[in-house]
Amino acid sequence: MEQFWNEFPILSVITLFLGAFLTSLVGRASEKAGRVVSGIAVTAPLAMMLCLIRPVMLQGQIITYWLGGWEPVEGWAIGICLEVDALSLFFALIVTVAVFVSCFYAFTYMNHDDALSNYYTLFLMLSGSVLGLVLSGDLFNVFVMIEIMTFTAVALTAFRTTYEGALEGAFKYLAVGSLGSTCVLVGIAMTYSQLHTLNLAQIAALVPAFRGNTVLHMAFAFLFVGFGTKAFLFPFHPLAADAHAVAPASISLMISGVLTKCGVYGIIRLIYVLFQNANVVTVSYLVTGFGAVSMFVCVTMAFNQHNFKRLLAFHSISQVGYVITVAGLSSALGLGAGLYHAMNHTIFKGLLFLTAGAVQHQTGSLDLDRLGGLSRRMPKTTALFLIGAASISGLPPFNGFASKWMIYQATFTAGLIHHNLFYLAVCVCALITSVLTLASFIKVTQSVFFGQLPAEYAGVEEVPLSMRAPMWVLAALCLLTGIFPAQIQRFLLTPAVSAVANIPAYVDAAMGEGYAAAHGVPGAEVSALPVGGAWSPLSWLALLFSVTCAVAIVAILGSARDEAHEYISQTQDGAAGAKYDSFFSGEEAVYSQVGGSDLFWGFKHNWKRYFAVMQRWHSGIVNDYTLYGVAAIAFVLLVCTLAL
Amino acid sequence: MMIVNYVGCFALIALGVYCMVTKHDLIKVVIGMSLVDYGANLMVVTVGFHPGGTAPIFTISELSRASFFVDPIPQALTLTSIVIGACTTAMSLSLCMMLKRQYGTLDTREIRRLRG
Repeated sequence: MEQFWNEFPILSVITLFLGAFLTSLVGRASEKAGRVVSGIAVTAPLAMMLCLIRPVMLQGQIITYWLGGWEPVEGWAIGICLEVDALSLFFALIVTVAVFVSCFYAFTYMNHDDALSNYYTLFLMLSGSVLGLVLSGDLFNVFVMIEIMTFTAVALTAFRTTYEGALEGAFKYLAVGSLGSTCVLVGIAMTYSQLHTLNLAQIAALVPAFRGNTVLHMAFAFLFVGFGTKAFLFPFHPLAADAHAVAPASISLMISGVLTKCGVYGIIRLIYVLFQNANVVTVSYLVTGFGAVSMFVCVTMAFNQHNFKRLLAFHSISQVGYVITVAGLSSALGLGAGLYHAMNHTIFKGLLFLTAGAVQHQTGSLDLDRLGGLSRRMPKTTALFLIGAASISGLPPFNGFASKWMIYQATFTAGLIHHNLFYLAVCVCALITSVLTLASFIKVTQSVFFGQLPAEYAGVEEVPLSMRAPMWVLAALCLLTGIFPAQIQRFLLTPAVSAVANIPAYVDAAMGEGYAAAHGVPGAEVSALPVGGAWSPLSWLALLFSVTCAVAIVAILGSARDEAHEYISQTQDGAAGAKYDSFFSGEEAVYSQVGGSDLFWGFKHNWKRYFAVMQRWHSGIVNDYTLYGVAAIAFVLLVCTLAL
Repeated sequence: MMIVNYVGCFALIALGVYCMVTKHDLIKVVIGMSLVDYGANLMVVTVGFHPGGTAPIFTISELSRASFFVDPIPQALTLTSIVIGACTTAMSLSLCMMLKRQYGTLDTREIRRLRG
């Protein structure tokens, strides 16, 4: 049945790429025209993806589009296809929303920079490649899209070439990232050597006949590491930290919210649909293990950071670690929780990066030790930041709470069902990570927005509405997806999880009716996701209300004495010991506030050996990072060839 | 004969990785990246090779069930991948140029302002 929306996937990808070229054509002549073109180019795909929600998510259709009309002949996919099932659409929605917000934010945010037509060209190519990746039904197209994505991301990371460290971060990203891309290519070559096809659906259909094939196990290992690199999983996380810290904030949003999601999408597609080995114990341990290590290591690394965005970058990977952890559980609840958290992560992390960008735009600094007290000058940005911080720390009623709740539930249930201590340990690890995240964000809030306002920032202004509006969109999404978890589950998560479980439908949609049955593809129908993860917002709202009242009373009573000490005088700032006086004694101690970095000095002191090791480990030398990557490849290869 | 190709491609990849891990000169790191890339390309093209096959160039009328030719798809993939590899090299070398201008060195041990 031909429907007009069958063309939407290809049209949306083309719109973005066409927009990229048009922007570079017209953008040179007039900057305004370039903005209009890129504005249209990001809005159209969003509209098209929203139109697809009804047929794909609600009616369960799978849209396939064969480029040039080259449909499969005699059971062999010879053409290139785009295949959109609920999982692809789920990620495509995340991508298009993030791209939309990032583009409109950049209009004002980038106004200090020049060569903006190049920026929008690269940005649209990045968006197009990412959208193409999640909609693609062809493994080699996935590789090409990954490469375009990496290049444009590297170029955008180094876009402010004179910014401290921008080139360095970009080079490291390119060098180690290219290692990951090569892994994907080698994995593709190995898969092709055994199955002689590159079509995702056909691979999924043929794989069951090749159980125990060592080459395919190796291919799996290479593909897994390759996608892991794109998701910046441990031990590739230093790249993300370097790239985020130096990239423009609108690009940090793209890297954390969109690029990592491509890695996540790749891994989910790989273990559930292509190789269908998510329920193999070794793979489950491997994926969950990598996820758990990522989330823990990165959250502790965030404690040591003095750069606002670098700190956010480590948290970003920590949250992606959550997603990967539960994706490895091979349960419907786990996958649902993972997808939910992936979506929420894009929203709240995007919001946080944009607020960091707002601070950078107005003050010119991201140094946590120099900033302070900005809530007086930028109250609206502070409110937005607090929403994002509450979401990422998992405080109700924001979305982070809803998805983290499901994550704890999924890991705990997996531990109980399988009588497995490992999954229980992961559950505990996830809880600790969440606490550390909260602690870390208290530090940021204290360092940047509260505390004393340095004299040099006394004249800082609030960001203009054109920058706040995109942030409010994300903040509203934070709240909406947090308050209506049951609706999110019904309209987005359940269709996506069912699409992942229903492999025969995915195969048949591309290869023709009955193809999956002929090749004996196993498919488990997931009727409905257990809605146990949903929480009731009303009872928590009462709690929140009472807590807010308590906080407000304290704030009102406390603010009376605060006025006289609004600004730190220059001399006091210069005196090295002044801010530490509160730990000891002296007249200053009564009034001087604890600096954000010193809030958790006791914790840091007790863990100093661990932090010393980690500090040495993140040496900043590109050779070392390559070595960690190679070690990861070797480890995964060894595990996959020996234990599968 | 194919075994030589596979040994060759893994040797190239190993050499490239060795170069990337041990050499502290950025240009040598870039050379290592290229070597890894070439190894992967050799592998892809080897996967599609059938000993004794002809070049996969036919018109529709010439093509029959009996025609025996090497697999054209990996060749197309390799071409794409070579182009991508050239881009990687160009991009990383241009980054090297600008790094040299900013940092005054190409030693990886000194280009580490982002760390910890």
